Amino acid sequence: MEDSDIIGLYWDRDQSAITETASKYGGFLWNISWNILRSHGDAEECVNDTYLRTWNAIPPARPTAFQAWLGRIARNLSLDRWKQARAQKRGGDGMEVLLGELDACVPAPHGTEAALEDRELAALISAFLRKLPAESRIIFLRRYWYGQELRDIAGGLGCGQGKVKSSLFRTRKALRAYLEQEGVSI
Amino acid sequence: MNGERLFRVLGLVDDELVVEAAPGFQAGTAVRRGPWRRALAAAACLAVLCCAGFAWRTVSAPRGDGTTAGGAAPGAENGTGSSLGGDPGDAPQENEPLSVEGTTFMSYAGPVFPLTTAEADTALTAERKTVWDFAPGSYHDGTPRQWGATVTDSYTLINPTEEAVTVTALYPFAGSFDELADLRPAVTVDGVETDPHLYAGAYAGGFQGVWQSGGQNGDQLDGTTLNLASPSSWTDYKALLESGDYLQQALEDAPALDIPVTAYEFTDFEAPAEYDAATQAIEFTIDRSKTTVLTYGFNGGAWNEETGWQQHSYFVPDGVRREPEKKVLVVLGEDIGDYTLSGYENGGCEREIDGVSCTVTRRETTLDAVLDELCRYYYDDYAGWQYGMTDRAVEAVPYPLFRRAAAELLVQYGILAGDSAVDRYSDGRLDDLISESTSQQRVLYLAVPVTVPAGESVDITFQLWKAPSFDYGCSGSENAGLQGYDLVTQLASTLTFTEQRASLVNTETIQIARQNLGFDLENSVTEVTLDLETEHYYLEIRQKS
Repeated sequence: MEDSDIIGLYWDRDQSAITETASKYGGFLWNISWNILRSHGDAEECVNDTYLRTWNAIPPARPTAFQAWLGRIARNLSLDRWKQARAQKRGGDGMEVLLGELDACVPAPHGTEAALEDRELAALISAFLRKLPAESRIIFLRRYWYGQELRDIAGGLGCGQGKVKSSLFRTRKALRAYLEQEGVSI
Repeated sequence: MNGERLFRVLGLVDDELVVEAAPGFQAGTAVRRGPWRRALAAAACLAVLCCAGFAWRTVSAPRGDGTTAGGAAPGAENGTGSSLGGDPGDAPQENEPLSVEGTTFMSYAGPVFPLTTAEADTALTAERKTVWDFAPGSYHDGTPRQWGATVTDSYTLINPTEEAVTVTALYPFAGSFDELADLRPAVTVDGVETDPHLYAGAYAGGFQGVWQSGGQNGDQLDGTTLNLASPSSWTDYKALLESGDYLQQALEDAPALDIPVTAYEFTDFEAPAEYDAATQAIEFTIDRSKTTVLTYGFNGGAWNEETGWQQHSYFVPDGVRREPEKKVLVVLGEDIGDYTLSGYENGGCEREIDGVSCTVTRRETTLDAVLDELCRYYYDDYAGWQYGMTDRAVEAVPYPLFRRAAAELLVQYGILAGDSAVDRYSDGRLDDLISESTSQQRVLYLAVPVTVPAGESVDITFQLWKAPSFDYGCSGSENAGLQGYDLVTQLASTLTFTEQRASLVNTETIQIARQNLGFDLENSVTEVTLDLETEHYYLEIRQKS
């Protein structure tokens, strides 16, 4: 079923919208939650919550990129749950590793940086990513948007893990330089 | 945390970049379970297997769980050979002959079990015939595809003695409450439909830790019991059933929970309209060696091990978000004493706000009464919308069995389980425990009273739709598209079988990939006699392309 048709079901308050969403994007959303949480139960709850949020948000929302829109909800919910689990000292440490890597992208403070709103900062990063070679951009987002393991990224792109590692290293370094150049504080 | 903020901000990058980078993904089509909740559960495993390199293993990989089939091949009536199947990775061939091992699937549907009786020594003998009907269109989604099989499991009970024998025949089948509407067998006795009593065994699986990267040793489980571990092979069911204790427990009364508790119920919610997720929190300090707190309807919790401080919080229901309105704290042991209510702008409980309020009603009751109230609430008002269970699916679940299952879970694995308590339920969330009672795999039993006159026989037939075992479509598994079916011949049965046969019908749209039964579709061998010494038979098919 086309995304627009699924969204139409939400607008009609037809509960089959949930079933259609689960059928088309259930695995995709699970992918995201699992990569962050590494817990069956927590990932299941996050995906369920994603459907609930979607049901409550549409209408009035009418997302133009439904897949990314859903993924964003699942990602945020998963991060929230990961923080909760971390506070309770549950779950794995994969997310710690991932966030630690991202710390390397954060510019050193100089005192003159602009404290941008999240959306402004995201727009800057989008512009940065567009300048990258497609493969570097995809590797970066698969790691830090979708939370994929290095081996899974390598497997998906048909290359070695070493190539993925070096690409991520270069992109992190370039992003840090870019943000410093833009005078951004995170 | 800077990295954390950057991670959140990255979530807002432009949609087309996100879509461009989406990992290769194929929508899950191989969903065998019922609507929504089960579909989600299947998708969950699918994603796990797609993306995390989760260590499900096929037979070609090392494993120690003894999931292989019995090695002995049955005698096909038309005398098929017994050569082994090829490498499981080979392209499927038409009517590939006998293999010594079946596949360990990612989703295991459980075998067809043999009939047994409540009585230990019946003097009855039995003949059995099991028919798998692969006619397309039997799956409840109404599509014309072939997915699953209609299984007719027929028994002739023979009484060789000179006195009538009356028994309670028990027919086991694997499943969960939320798929019961689709899985519950129809029963006939001598051709007359009957409506047998249903019993439900406890959760059939176990618990396992979280998969973590294990360095040189690959992925490993940590030492926790946070995740469910459903039965993944017939040997899991063998271990569960062969002592008879599992059935015995299923036939006994539900565990009594007449434990005095103090219940605090929260009602009359109010919060300022400008907050999307206004949160009500209750805080108190307890001695955790003397007081245990269970919750229902609460979204968050925090505690301090050293001071005994605890906080429980929930999003204030606004009538739109459909948060469950039932909010109850159940206190076992010493009461919590003084408590503080606070309002926050969101579930983070960081910025306090005014205008959040509720009414708290304290009452002294028993755990049985509270659990019954919560199970009834969940069953009547919550299951349908939350988990997509249709009215038909909900009505198919006898409430006393569901209520019993929740109590069993609490006693066997929850905070009342002592040393057997698992991490999964250690936070005392009754929501989790009650909701999972609907979806956990278990063995259910249909009880059919039967009297077999002296020297005569009675025919009992069970017809059920049987889901296949399978690997998820986007897992990349070489076994994706393969449907597994299996049968155990005598496991935990009290009956003395003199013959068992198996047959296939409506096979036009399928081809056999692996089996140890001896069918040969090309040569029209669709019925075989089983070797009663062989514990387990399996059949793996694909749809013809």
